[in-house]
Amino acid sequence: MKDFTRRDFLRLAAVGLGTAALSACGQPTASTPSAAPSPTGLPATATQLPTTAPTLASTVASAASATATTVPAATSAPTATAMVRPDLVVARGPDPAELVRQALKAIGGMEQFVKSGDDVIVKPNICVAYHTYEYAATTNPWVVGAVVKLALEAGARRVRVMDFPFGGTPQEAYAISGIEEQVKAAGGEMEVMSRLKFVDTEIAGATSLKRANIYEDILNAVVINVPIAKHHSLAGLTLGMKNLMGTIRDREVIHANIGQRLTDLTSRIRPVLTIVDAVRILTNNGPTGGDLNDVKKLDTLIVSSDIVAADSYAASLFGLKPEEISYISAGAKAGLGRSDLKSLKIEEVAVGG
Amino acid sequence: MAKALRARRRQVSGWITLRRGVQYAALLIFIVLFVEARNGGWPGETANVFMRLDPLAMLGQLISSRIVLAGSALALLTIALTIAFGRAWCGWLCPLGTLLDLFSLRRWRGNRAAPRDSWRAVKYVLLLTILAAALFGNLTFMIFDPITLLYRTVSTSVWPALDQAVTAIESALYSLPALRPMVSSFESLIRPSVLPTAPAYYRDALLLAAVFIGVVALNVLASRFWCRYLCPLGGLLGLLSKFSFVRRRVSVERCNECGLCAQSCPTGTIDPDKGYASDPGECTLCLECLDSCHRAGTKFSAAAPRVEWQPYDPGRRHLLVAFGTAITAISLFRSDAVSRRENPRLIRPPGARENDLPTKCIRCGECLRACPTNGLQPALVEAGLAGLWTPVLVPRLGYCDYSCSACGQACPVQAIPPLALDEKRQQVIGWSYIDQNRCIAWADGRDCIVCEEMCPLPDKAIKLEEASITREDGSVAKIKLPHVLRERCIGCGICEYKCPVNGEAAIRVYVPASDTGA
Repeated sequence: MKDFTRRDFLRLAAVGLGTAALSACGQPTASTPSAAPSPTGLPATATQLPTTAPTLASTVASAASATATTVPAATSAPTATAMVRPDLVVARGPDPAELVRQALKAIGGMEQFVKSGDDVIVKPNICVAYHTYEYAATTNPWVVGAVVKLALEAGARRVRVMDFPFGGTPQEAYAISGIEEQVKAAGGEMEVMSRLKFVDTEIAGATSLKRANIYEDILNAVVINVPIAKHHSLAGLTLGMKNLMGTIRDREVIHANIGQRLTDLTSRIRPVLTIVDAVRILTNNGPTGGDLNDVKKLDTLIVSSDIVAADSYAASLFGLKPEEISYISAGAKAGLGRSDLKSLKIEEVAVGG
Repeated sequence: MAKALRARRRQVSGWITLRRGVQYAALLIFIVLFVEARNGGWPGETANVFMRLDPLAMLGQLISSRIVLAGSALALLTIALTIAFGRAWCGWLCPLGTLLDLFSLRRWRGNRAAPRDSWRAVKYVLLLTILAAALFGNLTFMIFDPITLLYRTVSTSVWPALDQAVTAIESALYSLPALRPMVSSFESLIRPSVLPTAPAYYRDALLLAAVFIGVVALNVLASRFWCRYLCPLGGLLGLLSKFSFVRRRVSVERCNECGLCAQSCPTGTIDPDKGYASDPGECTLCLECLDSCHRAGTKFSAAAPRVEWQPYDPGRRHLLVAFGTAITAISLFRSDAVSRRENPRLIRPPGARENDLPTKCIRCGECLRACPTNGLQPALVEAGLAGLWTPVLVPRLGYCDYSCSACGQACPVQAIPPLALDEKRQQVIGWSYIDQNRCIAWADGRDCIVCEEMCPLPDKAIKLEEASITREDGSVAKIKLPHVLRERCIGCGICEYKCPVNGEAAIRVYVPASDTGA
C-alpha cells in the first residue's frame, strides 16, 4: 500500500476546494432564501383569519383535560360557526400550561396555525441570563413548554425554541430561565442561534428598516411568538413586536426609529400566533429586571394571530393605551393588525386550578 | 546473542511507543480540558489541573504571595515523579514538549551543530531570576513558564484563529444552497459543544502567537531548543533530577563508541568525550538512545543517586546574575510611570484589585479562557511591562457578565478570588462615567437609552431624566437623559460595551478613585 503523503493530501484538498469554489461561483447569490415563506411586506390580513376550512377544529378537545369554567361556544360548536372565532383570547388562571391549552382551544386549536409536517420555531423572550423566571425578565418556562407540546401534537415536524440574549451567553440564559428544561421535557429542541444563519434580507414595503440581518430559519419556518409583557424605558413596554428584535443580528439600528422599524421587521417575519405571557409582568426596571418588587403576578395569557391586537391588549394590563406605544400605533397604521380593542372579538376564559 | 538483542529492541520500541502514547494522551487531555472549560462544561478547579501540576508556577506563587494554597499540593506529584525518574515530565507529559517533538523541524535543521553547552545555563538563570523576583513579590517573569506560555497562546490565539478558520469554511459552504442542511447540522454539532458560538478577539493575539511560533522555530537550531536552553521549568526539574533514582547508564564493556546514541538524543546530552554518559538534569527519559544502541550498551535503571555537577549548572555566578537581573528589572518596573499614576482603565476582574493581583497572578490565561464575553484581555501596556499579560477588563470588547463568576473559579492561584455569584454581583470593579459631549441623548438631543436598558442591576445604576429641549426650528421635544448613580454602579461595563456611539463609547468605566472606593 502506498503511503498517503502530505503532497497527496494537499493535492486532494486543492481539488476539493477548487470544485467547491467553482460551484459556489456558479450559484446565484444566496442571500434571498430559495423558498420564500410568505408574500413579503404586505397584506396584513393574509394570516390574520384562517381562511382554510377548519376541518380539524372538533378534534381539538381531545388535547385538553378541560378545566375551563366558561366554555366558549366556538370550541364545541360545529365547524360551520368556526368563522366567528374570537380575534383574541384572554385566559386567566393559576396554571400557566393550562392557560396555554385552554386559550388555544378557545381560539380554534393549534391546528389552525401549525400544519402537519411544519417546521416550527417558538420565539420566547430570553433576553438575559441573569435571573430565574420569577423575576419576569424571561418568558414563563411552562408557557413555552406547553406551546411546544401543542405544536408537536398538531403534527409539527420539529419544534425549535431560540432567542439571542444580549446579557450572558445563550447556553446560560436557556438554562437559568428554566425554558430549556421545559422545552426538552415537551419534546422540543433549544437552538443556539448560529452566526452563519443571519442573512442580509430585504424587507419589501418597509419605510425605515429596508434591510436587516434576519435569522434565516425564522424566515422559513412557522413562527410562534411568545413574549413576556415587560417594562422598557424607550419603547414603554416590550411585547410581541418588540420581541421580534431577537431575530436579527444588528439590533442597535432598531432604536433610532423604534416604532416604524419594529413594524417593518414584523411585516417580514409574520408570526402565525402571538402568545403574550402575562403570568408575571415586569412593571419597572425592564427589560432586565431583578427586583421582585417590580413584578406583578397577573396569571394571564393573551393569544391572538393578530400581533398588534395582542400587544394592544397586553398594554392595557399596564394601564396604557395602544397609541401610547409607538410600535403598536405604527403597526396598526401599516395594517399589520388592529389596535382598537373595541372592534375586536375578545373571548375571556377563566381557567380553574 | 543476536536473538536476545532482537527481543530487547522489540521491547525498547514498545517502550518508545508507550512514551509517544502517553505524550499524545497528555496533550489531548490538555486540549480537552481547555475546550471543556472554555465552554463552561467543567468547573475551573478541574480545568486548571495542568497549571497546578506545574511546580514552578506553584512555587513562584508561594514565594511571591506567601500564601499556601491547598490546590498547589498537586505540584508535589510532579516533584515526586522527578525525584524518581528525572525529567520524565519533559519527555513524557509536558504538552509544550510534545508539540516541540511534533514540530521538530528536523529537515530544516539538517546537520547543524547545536549551540555550545554553556547555553544550557540560560534556563537556570531564568529559573533563578523568576524565583528571585518572586522574593520581591514580582511574578512578571512567569510569562516564561512553559505551561502558562502554552495555555495563554491557546486561549488567545490558537483557539480564536481555529474558530475563525472553521467559520470561514462553513460560510463558504453555507453559500451553496445544496449544502446548507449539512453545514447547518455540522454547525449545531460543533457549536456550542466544541467551538464557541460567538468569535473571540484578543488584542495581543498576534504577539502571543509570534512568541509561540518563535519558541517552535528555535527547533531549527537544535531539537528541543526550548527545553535544552531556555525552559525555566525544565531548569527546576533538572536541578531536582540531580537527585533522581532512575537514570541512564552506559555499560563500558558493551559500548563500541559508535556514537549513534549521541546522535539520537533530542536534548543532545550524551557526551562522546565522557564515555557517552549523560546529564540526568538534561535527560528527558525519552529512551531514544536505547533504540539507537545496537549492542544493548545503554540501560535505564534505579540506584541511589550520585550528584554530579556540570560546568553549565548554576553556580554562585549564575545566582548573582539572576539576582542582579531581578533587582534591576523590578527597580525599572517601579520607575515606570504607571507606578506613579495608575492607568484608570486598568479594570481588574472582580475582587482581584483588592486581592493584590500582580503578586499572585502567574499569567497563565485561565481567566481569559473562562470569560464568556471575551472582555478579559491580556494587559499589554495598562499595567506597565511589569503587568504584561495579566488580566484586564476591556469593556469595549466584552463586559463582565452579571450571571458569571467563572474567572475566580478558573484562577489556579486565587489571584482572582473565587467569589460566589451573589458576592461577585456586589463587587465594584469600576464606575461608569457618561461623556456628555458624545452621548446621543446629551449631545445630539435624540433618545437612545441603551445604557439604561442594558444595566443589569435590579434597580438600574443608570437613571433617565426626562428633559425638554428646544430644537433649532423652535419646537420643544422631550428626551431621556441618562445619569449614572455612583453608589449603585459596579462597573461591569455592559453599558460601555453596548453604547452605540462609534469608536470610543460615550459611557466608559474607570477604576474608582481609591480614597472613595467601595
